[in-house]
Amino acid sequence: MSTRKVIEMYGTALAGLGLFVFLSIFANNFLSSANLFNVLKQVSFLSMLAFGFTFALITSELDLAFANVCSLAAVVIGFLISTDVAWPLAVAAGVATGFLAGLLNGLLVTVAKVPSLISTLGTASIANGLAFMITGGVAFVGRWDPNFLFLGRGKLGPIPVIILFTLVLFLIVLTLSTQTRTGVHLQATGENEEAARRSGIDTRRAKIIGLVLSGLAAGITAVFLVANLSSAAPQMAGDFLLNGIAATLLGMTMFTPAKPNILGTFVGSLIIVMLSNGLVLLGAQYYIQDIMLGIIIILSVAVSASVLKRAAFAL
Amino acid sequence: MKTIKTVLAAASLAGAAFAGSQAAAFELGVVAFQMSAETQARCANTVGAEAEKLGWEAQVLNSNGALETHASQLDNLIQKGVDAMILCMSKPVQFDAQFLAAKEAGIPVITISSGASPHTMFDVTPNEYIMAAEAAIYTLGTINFEGNILAQRFESNTGARIRGAILDAVLVENPQVEIVGEHSMARTKSWQDDVRNGMSALILQNAGNFDAVWASFDGQALIIDDLLKEAGMEKGDVSLVSIDGGQEVYRRIKDPYSMMTATVAIPFEDMAASAVSMMKQIAVDGTPKDDLVPGPYLFIPATLVDKTNVDEFLNE
Repeated sequence: MSTRKVIEMYGTALAGLGLFVFLSIFANNFLSSANLFNVLKQVSFLSMLAFGFTFALITSELDLAFANVCSLAAVVIGFLISTDVAWPLAVAAGVATGFLAGLLNGLLVTVAKVPSLISTLGTASIANGLAFMITGGVAFVGRWDPNFLFLGRGKLGPIPVIILFTLVLFLIVLTLSTQTRTGVHLQATGENEEAARRSGIDTRRAKIIGLVLSGLAAGITAVFLVANLSSAAPQMAGDFLLNGIAATLLGMTMFTPAKPNILGTFVGSLIIVMLSNGLVLLGAQYYIQDIMLGIIIILSVAVSASVLKRAAFAL
Repeated sequence: MKTIKTVLAAASLAGAAFAGSQAAAFELGVVAFQMSAETQARCANTVGAEAEKLGWEAQVLNSNGALETHASQLDNLIQKGVDAMILCMSKPVQFDAQFLAAKEAGIPVITISSGASPHTMFDVTPNEYIMAAEAAIYTLGTINFEGNILAQRFESNTGARIRGAILDAVLVENPQVEIVGEHSMARTKSWQDDVRNGMSALILQNAGNFDAVWASFDGQALIIDDLLKEAGMEKGDVSLVSIDGGQEVYRRIKDPYSMMTATVAIPFEDMAASAVSMMKQIAVDGTPKDDLVPGPYLFIPATLVDKTNVDEFLNE
């Protein structure tokens, strides 16, 4: 493999490794086990959401609703728990909310033929409105069932439960995207829809699956967010929109360059959270983080522009 | 190769500079929940400035109004091992786990206008109930306790919610005053648009049918003032009363073209300075917390400001 190819495939990951080494040397406490678990816990929320966005993007569709759908699912969970519904049922309702929102997006894109850029913006607005309708703008807050809170705050030994869950989820979605017929169909649909259709792939189904997985990921993430914060607010996942997209775009600069991929998204999430954590440990003021995130997005888009353009402007 | 070496050297120097800045000074983590709100920016910036006067190293973070971001920033500061934290407008129940982690790590936390927590030292705050009663009664006084008012609420903030509840309590005893239109601000990330959209509709709908406007905080009142001016109103047509204070509000109280009538001025700078001073006494000088603040709150008095005393508050 040529040096150029190595840099293309692994350059960003190596830069992430460089960042890890840099922070290990210069940022006090970065390498402590407590901080590493702290970083991985923060990666968990971001990567779970970004996995979903990645699946949508693999089929060349954008899901700009995932953060708002996550907030809506969180509010549904919070509402049900605060009205004394058993928490497992509330969790199921939250996940179902994400699933249904994803299905709606999938049907809008494939049946109503509304471009995903537009339809998911619409769904995002609807989800936002519903979240405010349910809450009246006031967060559901409580000291809820410890068994439920264990999902977000609990530990098995020294390891937060959510990290273990995310690793399992990562292996599942990685396998799904690379080792299964469904994964191959999603990728083929995203790379060349017409060719995929002619070769017998149900591209409409593939796009629906991509967007449903994105909604499902939002619903699952909502469960852990609510359990972690013991509250549910209408815009609680708002900040994840930009970070989730950034993680996916960063992921597209590595392993299979210019293509959305689960492994890349995971490493992208890791880099973004590591940077955010490292900047705090290094004493950087708040505005530096926003500037750094902006730079990452611009650089990532510059490298992986072709797929994004196809997804964003397939009007 | 030369380029790579140069980049590595520069990175090392930058790292060394960062690491150097992390040296032995007392490290204070300061987190504001939403710095696009002027009051929170005033609070966080004053804490930072006061800490630096003491020779401390203050790191100011902004959570952009996002719960998970706030939690992550608190977690990161705890892992950094800061010596203390001062939080502006945080949320004790939502961040109970982080506050507990800070306590377990031996990091003292003082909050400002956040509410009490068993895991923090205390909360520096004005007495919301007193302020809210002053603002509500003053609003009704401007219309001789008779007429119609518009209300701009904010239910997802504890302090602002209390202000609204006290307004309602005051209205129960004053049945000649009626709220003919009200809007509740819900979107914390785009709150200016939210207020503008909601109140412009109410002002149009109730044109000529309201005598006063009550807003739950001054940021809302400034937007409403602009809307009233756009609707062609002049000072004296309606009164506009709110709570918080700030130079722009004081300028408008004095401005002959503004509807802004009065505010209850919360001394955010004094609160921030008190928080830093108390933190020094507790974390550096070793004074027991209960010797300074026996309960969970350190109440700071607020002052009603209108045209009669606004000059005392204007800097210019």
